[in-house]
This record gives sequence, structure tokens and C-alpha cells, in this order.
Amino acid sequence: MKRAHIFAGVSLFSMLAAASGASAADKYVVGVSNTLIGNGWREEMICSIKAEAEASGLVSKVIVANRNGGPSEQIADIRNLISAGANAIIINPSDRDALNPVIKQAVDKGIVVVAVDQAVSAPEAYVLTNDQVAYAKVGAKWLFDKLGGKGNVVEMRGIDGVPADADRHQGFTEVLKDYPDIKVVSVFSGWALNKTAQETKDLLASGKPIDGVWTSGIDSTVVDAYKTAQKPFVPVVGADNNGFIGQLIDLKSQGLSGAAVSNPPAVGGAGLGLALDVLQKKEHPHVVKITPVVWDNSDAGLVKLKAAYNPKLDPFYSVAIDVKPYTQYNMDQILACKGP
Amino acid sequence: MSAANKMEASSAAHSLSRYLRATGMPLLFLASILATLAIHRDFGAFDVQSLALGALPLAMAATAQAIVVISGGIDLSVGSMIAVANVLSASLMQHASFRQSLGLAVLIILVGAVQGAINGTLIVLSRIPDIVVTLTTGFIWGGVALLILERPGGGAPSDFLEIGAGADLSPVLPNALLLLIVAVGVIWVPIRSSRLGLSLYATGSDPIAAFRSGVDPRLARILAYGLGGVFCGIGGVALTMTTGIGAPLAGAYYTLSSVAAVVIGGVSLNGGRGGVLGPVLAALLLTLLPMDLIFLNIDPNYGQVIQGTLIVLVVMIGGFAAFMQGRS
Repeated sequence: MKRAHIFAGVSLFSMLAAASGASAADKYVVGVSNTLIGNGWREEMICSIKAEAEASGLVSKVIVANRNGGPSEQIADIRNLISAGANAIIINPSDRDALNPVIKQAVDKGIVVVAVDQAVSAPEAYVLTNDQVAYAKVGAKWLFDKLGGKGNVVEMRGIDGVPADADRHQGFTEVLKDYPDIKVVSVFSGWALNKTAQETKDLLASGKPIDGVWTSGIDSTVVDAYKTAQKPFVPVVGADNNGFIGQLIDLKSQGLSGAAVSNPPAVGGAGLGLALDVLQKKEHPHVVKITPVVWDNSDAGLVKLKAAYNPKLDPFYSVAIDVKPYTQYNMDQILACKGP
Repeated sequence: MSAANKMEASSAAHSLSRYLRATGMPLLFLASILATLAIHRDFGAFDVQSLALGALPLAMAATAQAIVVISGGIDLSVGSMIAVANVLSASLMQHASFRQSLGLAVLIILVGAVQGAINGTLIVLSRIPDIVVTLTTGFIWGGVALLILERPGGGAPSDFLEIGAGADLSPVLPNALLLLIVAVGVIWVPIRSSRLGLSLYATGSDPIAAFRSGVDPRLARILAYGLGGVFCGIGGVALTMTTGIGAPLAGAYYTLSSVAAVVIGGVSLNGGRGGVLGPVLAALLLTLLPMDLIFLNIDPNYGQVIQGTLIVLVVMIGGFAAFMQGRS
């Protein structure tokens, strides 16, 4: 047993030693912390960071700490990114407040920290997100108006307790106040395909009357569940995911109406663009919010949807591949998903 | 082979396996520390603190699991008990003072002891296998954690968090590492060398022989689970201390990882053999692995692959040693 242990240790040793050959010049090292895997939006977010790193020419290495977890795993990951010598850390935070101490430690060491997609409350951090309150507001308003202000609506939320879900729920609830005849059932999709499919199946099997579905971004799965169950479509609100936009175009003739609300995963690359600016002593506001827009598949809106649909793109990727003026990369670079 | 030769070979195989059980894990840990130092030349105080902070709750879970496994059981509710202690402390301490928080911590650790004792009592009274009882209570405690705190939140006074996250209690070691040494040293080491410790090992090794030597195996098992509960309570409070919040679902990770740490740490799943040092070092190793992988920019999910490979290797080597022993 001893020999085997030593052997395991030595082979680990040599493997690690061989892998550390890469050297960094005077370019920046970028760390990324993400705690939701198996989600197309997050994959695209990481690809946009790698693409921006490649396009900027200022980055020597992108280190991605990517695993499923909550704040405790993310705190450990951020500490490890600090250890690994990151000059900038891009975080998609799993909690608004829990990361603040470790963010402060990073900033005290001269590291630029940017929270993307969801906000953190640490004043030292830069925050670059879609306006998540508005995201829910515009989508919910479209849906409630579509239903004539009356009916049963499913609110398919994301992950309980994370900042974006809380903000979106706030927006949804604010709009709901103006529509007293809308009744809401809330479920959590965990922003996961399998869970969304299961929740939708359960709802359809329960026999509850459903007049419309608002989703927090796992959208095409809901439409697919309706197709599988051979139930007539109800209006669905989703994000600007490629697959969902394809459905809005293709299934319009079969009675599907819906709206896609923009939520660019390129906030990841944009966050890096901002971080690189700050590292080069350019001034930026600490909070940047992107205003979402709605595209529906009415006859007028269809033109925009068709222009946005991209057959080359993964169905679970968002069609919004960049956030100008923060990102510099092109379509090929984000599809390649390769960092320096 | 003559009878004398046979006996000699058997005792040689036996002492070799004992020797490996005691030294294998420390050697493996030493090797991984050397490997880390080789790839990460600036590995310093900050990194040692990261390691200690990350490993503290898992080390507590591993200690809890090790005590239960040594006494002949297995506890699949470790993660849920940690979750309960975590959300309980984060929700109660949120608006408490530093002194109140210390009191609450002691109280919550006692709650852990009661939870563990309930596990042990159910097992002894019902004679349902440990794995079934603790799986079930694990679901129950998991639900209780969600009832206490629906979503991640809560908090604790900052002086209280400093106990875990700071580096000021000792000039050499980060607080989290010091806490780990104190918790294991103050609670487990005296018990290990007392009659109670001996009865735990005896019960795990052979409950009938233990009974005939005047040990009550049923009481020993209840005490082992209760002691495990104490370390789960400490683990949960430590999780609050190191993250600053309570997360009802954070415990899930610790159940299976504690079993992994126990196996890698050289504790026999058949009971009666092994110690707590091995599992604690294994917990540190399992935390060090993703750190190194992130440093090398390798997907940290490979950490799970390496962890699984280690477990298979250790179990195979253990099985091989037992096989050689049986054959000779």
C-alpha cells in the first residue's frame, strides 16, 4: 500500500509539474468563477470571456473555476483564483452578500473583480449585468397583455436565493400588481433542462388550467413538453435563446405565440473588457446595467426574430453574441470558445 | 509450508497492513504537499489559509464518519446534520452578539449530539441496518434544514466569523487549522485512549467478543453516533464561520465526501480499524486537489475523477492485503 501511495503521489507530481510549463509574459491572467454547469447560457458566457481574452491580445491565460455549487464552493474557488495569480476575476455570483469578504480580499491585493449577470453588494466590485428586474417586467407585461389581463400563469423561476432570480421575481411581482385577474403558480426550474422538463410535465399532467407560461430563460424545453404532450400551445415568454427563437418562427403556424426577452451571456466577455480597461487605468462606473428588449412573434416582430436566428449556433445559446462597446471579438471567436 | 512458517507469514502480512494503514495517508499527503510546492512556488500563508478554510467542514465530517465507521456503522446523514447546524447557526446568530453566538454554537453542537444519538438509538432498537436508518434520517434532517432556512441566507457577527476566517490566534497557523487541531485534539484524543474509545474499537471489530469482554455494544454504538453528531455540529458551525451564511443544500456534498475521506484515510469499512488522523489528512488532500487543478488551469471536475481513482486504489490495495493475509 505504501509503495502504491508513493507511486500515486509521484505520478500526480510529475503530471502537475508537466502541466505547469506555460509561462506568462507581462500580460494579464484572468480568473473566472462560475457555479452552474450544464447550462448553455453559462457555457456561452465562459466562451465570450475566452473570446474577449483572445481578441484583446492583453491576456496570457484564462483560468476557469467551473463547478456546480453554492457560495461556500465559490468562496473557495475565488480564493484559489487569487492564489493562482489572477489580475482580474470575473464572477457570476451565487449570492449577493456572501462573497463580499473574499471580493474585498481580492481587491485589496490589487485584483479587479467584476460580477457579471448577477449583482453583488460589495462596493469594491464592478457589476455588469442585464437589468434583471426590467427583464422580468417587460416579459411579464407582454404575457399579461397577451392574455387580456386575465388567466392562470406559471412563473417558472430559476434558482431560489440567487441574486438574478430574486431581482426577476421582484420585477414579475411589480407588474403583477397592475393585473389583479392574473393568477400565478410559481415553480423553480433550477435553470436546468431536466428539471424544467419534469416541472412542465407535472403541471400538464396535473390538469390545472394554464393560460400562459413565463420562464426565467429555460424556454424551448417548455415548448417541447407541450409538443410531446400534444397539448395546444399557450403563450410562452423566454429568453433570446437560439432554439426558442427557432420555435417562435417555425411553430407560429401551429399556434405558438411567444416573446423572447434579450439577456446576453456576452456580459461575461463585456465584464472582461471592462476589467481590462480598469487594469489599464481607464475610468468606468462601478455599476453597468444593460436594458433588455422584447421580440415577439407577431407578424411585425417576426422580421426581427428571423434576422436574429442563427442556424450555426447551439440551440441553447443566446443569439446575442456580443455587448458593444465592451466586447471586441467576432462570431467565429466565440464559436471557437478558445482562450489564449 | 510448516505451521510455524505459516504463522510467521500471516503475522508479517498483518503487521505490514497495519503499518500501511498508519503511514500510507500521511505519506500520500506529504507527497501531494511537495507536489503543490513544486508547481506553486509562492504557496504561502494565504494559500494555507484557503486550504484550511476549505477543508475545515469536510475534516469535521470525515472525523464524524470515521468514529461511526470505526464502531462498526456508517452514517449517511452526516451531510444533512451539517446542513441543520449550518442553517441553525446562520439564522440564530444573524442578530446575535459575539458572546451570544459562542453560546449558540455550543447549543447547536449539542443539538448535533442529540441528532446523532437518535440515529444510534433507532439503529440499536430497531435492528434495521445502519445504512437504511441513516439514509432515512438524512432525508428528514435535510427537510428540517430547508424548513429552518428556505434559501441561502442568515449570517453571524463578524468577530465570530473572524474566529474561522482570521489568522490572528496563532503566529504560525491560520485559525481554521488551529480550530481543526483543537476540536479533534480536545474531543477525540482523550476519548480514543479511554475505556470508551476502546469499547468503540472493540464493538466495531467484533460486537460479540466485545460483549463477552464486558462492553455494552449497544451503548457503544449510540455513543459513537452521538459523538459523530457532535463533529457534524462543529462542522456545520464551521461552515457558517468560513462562509458567513447558511445554505440549506450545502450539506449534500459532505455525506459522500466524508465516506471518501474515511476510505482514503485508511479506516476499514468493516469497523474496528483505523484512526481519525488519516481521514482528516484525506479531507485536506481532497481540498488541495481542486486548488492545484485550478492553479494549473485544469478543469476542477477532474478532481472528482482523481478522488474516485484514489478510492478504488485504496480499496483494492486493502482488499489485496486482506486476501494475502487470508491465503497465508
